[in-house]
Amino acid sequence: MESSKQKRCRSSVVETIEAPLPLVWSILRSFDKPQAYQRFVKSCTMRSGGGGGKGGEGKGSVRDVTLVSGFPADFSTERLEELDDESHVMVVSIIGGNHRLVNYKSKTKVVASPEDMAKKTVVVESYVVDVPEGTSEEDTIFFVDNIIRYNLTSLAKLTKKMMK
Amino acid sequence: MAGICCGVVGETEPAAPVDSTSRASLRRRLDLLPSIKIVADSAVAPPLENCRKRQKRETVVLSTLPGNLDLDSNVRSENKKARSAVTNSNSVTEAESFFSDVPKIGTTSVCGRRRDMEDAVSIHPSFLQRNSENHHFYGVFDGHGCSHVAEKCRERLHDIVKKEVEVMASDEWTETMVKSFQKMDKEVSQRECNLVVNGATRSMKNSCRCELQSPQCDAVGSTAVVSVVTPEKIIVSNCGDSRAVLCRNGVAIPLSVDHKPDRPDELIRIQQAGGRVIYWDGARVLGVLAMSRAIGDNYLKPYVIPDPEVTVTDRTDEDECLILASDGLWDVVPNETACGVARMCLRGAGAGDDSDAAHNACSDAALLLTKLALARQSSDNVSVVVVDLRKRRNNQASS
Repeated sequence: MESSKQKRCRSSVVETIEAPLPLVWSILRSFDKPQAYQRFVKSCTMRSGGGGGKGGEGKGSVRDVTLVSGFPADFSTERLEELDDESHVMVVSIIGGNHRLVNYKSKTKVVASPEDMAKKTVVVESYVVDVPEGTSEEDTIFFVDNIIRYNLTSLAKLTKKMMK
Repeated sequence: MAGICCGVVGETEPAAPVDSTSRASLRRRLDLLPSIKIVADSAVAPPLENCRKRQKRETVVLSTLPGNLDLDSNVRSENKKARSAVTNSNSVTEAESFFSDVPKIGTTSVCGRRRDMEDAVSIHPSFLQRNSENHHFYGVFDGHGCSHVAEKCRERLHDIVKKEVEVMASDEWTETMVKSFQKMDKEVSQRECNLVVNGATRSMKNSCRCELQSPQCDAVGSTAVVSVVTPEKIIVSNCGDSRAVLCRNGVAIPLSVDHKPDRPDELIRIQQAGGRVIYWDGARVLGVLAMSRAIGDNYLKPYVIPDPEVTVTDRTDEDECLILASDGLWDVVPNETACGVARMCLRGAGAGDDSDAAHNACSDAALLLTKLALARQSSDNVSVVVVDLRKRRNNQASS
């Protein structure tokens, strides 16, 4: 009821990475190691492993993320809603933290690039989130898009380095 | 410490007059409190409570500079050299000899409530001789994202400045300091988080986790507030939101202006560069960084630049001390209050007759200011440097 009053916004960020899909996906799908490519993550600990699957891979897994200093938040609590290794889709919700991102849910989809199926990968991250009080929808989208873009840029650099 | 507090409590000193022309005064968030109240706050040292939910409570770790012992012996050694020079030289006039001593200093750096210590302090008395004058270097660096940029500034900036000043024509301090900061920024950018290159030895004592997770390298930076003190001038170069304040005859004179993203001229510069300032827990460049200038932070260039703003101030007989500190202090202690606290400590040591007493007074001032910041719930690392700028008499007793 309360959340229905809150204005929501949505956006998508697309990044083409010069690396094969299996490599890109192997990093993205590691729910327990977001610091491998997420720029502002300092460390991550798993709170619960969820049902089924290996640690950090099961649906319902929850991670506690510690963010770097200087960033406008200290921590974030996130849950893995969906992880599909066949369609290369990952859905993550943010369920806590002091970043002002409430009711945040993102879907990341990875596909081989039509340009070069074997060597290029397209990552699409789409999300919905409440617009925080006192902030405009435009600013909210700019902020979140920015964070995602930085993360995907780091991912591109990382995979490039790994292929050397 | 208790002795100093008791002594100060007995004094009935009026609050320092507010400088209405000071921009810092206009921005101050806290009322100027009576000096006795301030001391009481610090002396009692109320238990630190975790008022802000976003901060985890950490044990306060008080640490002086690891090189503090060397610093003491260096200062003592320099004093002897200075006195010897004065004694043996007939050409030195009385006025000049007043300024030839190395200034007494005090410094503290504490982690406070933050999870990690990312501040660094750099003290280099007599780091440069120029035109027969002793130059002294003092710097405070408040890192974010990780500590290695601030550590690198501590290790290298004084040497970079020295090399630039040695080739400086006349007194072009602004150009020289801008060049120095830009070189420092380039240096931290080129070294991939201190990874071993060409067999070069790693300079960091403890490897920071950036070595293992290189994506975070770009998001590391530091403020830098630096002062070069000469017999006649105080040169302050500032990049970021640490600050330098001069205490002159009881009045707090800011020698730097904080680089906040919503400062009108900084906001315009960022927008003209194609960037954007978003209010997300305060004004932030691209919603991420709460300062508009920093050493490092490559991912935010060209919006966040390493160029310092430089001020050159002539020294006067009324100068009491210079305070350099990170925003862990200035966010909770107004300039005037800091000035008043330092002044009380220095007065307690008399007019600088005894060099050891003056040195202790500076240390007490730095420590007292740090405790005051923590008592006022500062949520950041706190680093403070207090430099005694008072003249010293020729008949100074040997310690």
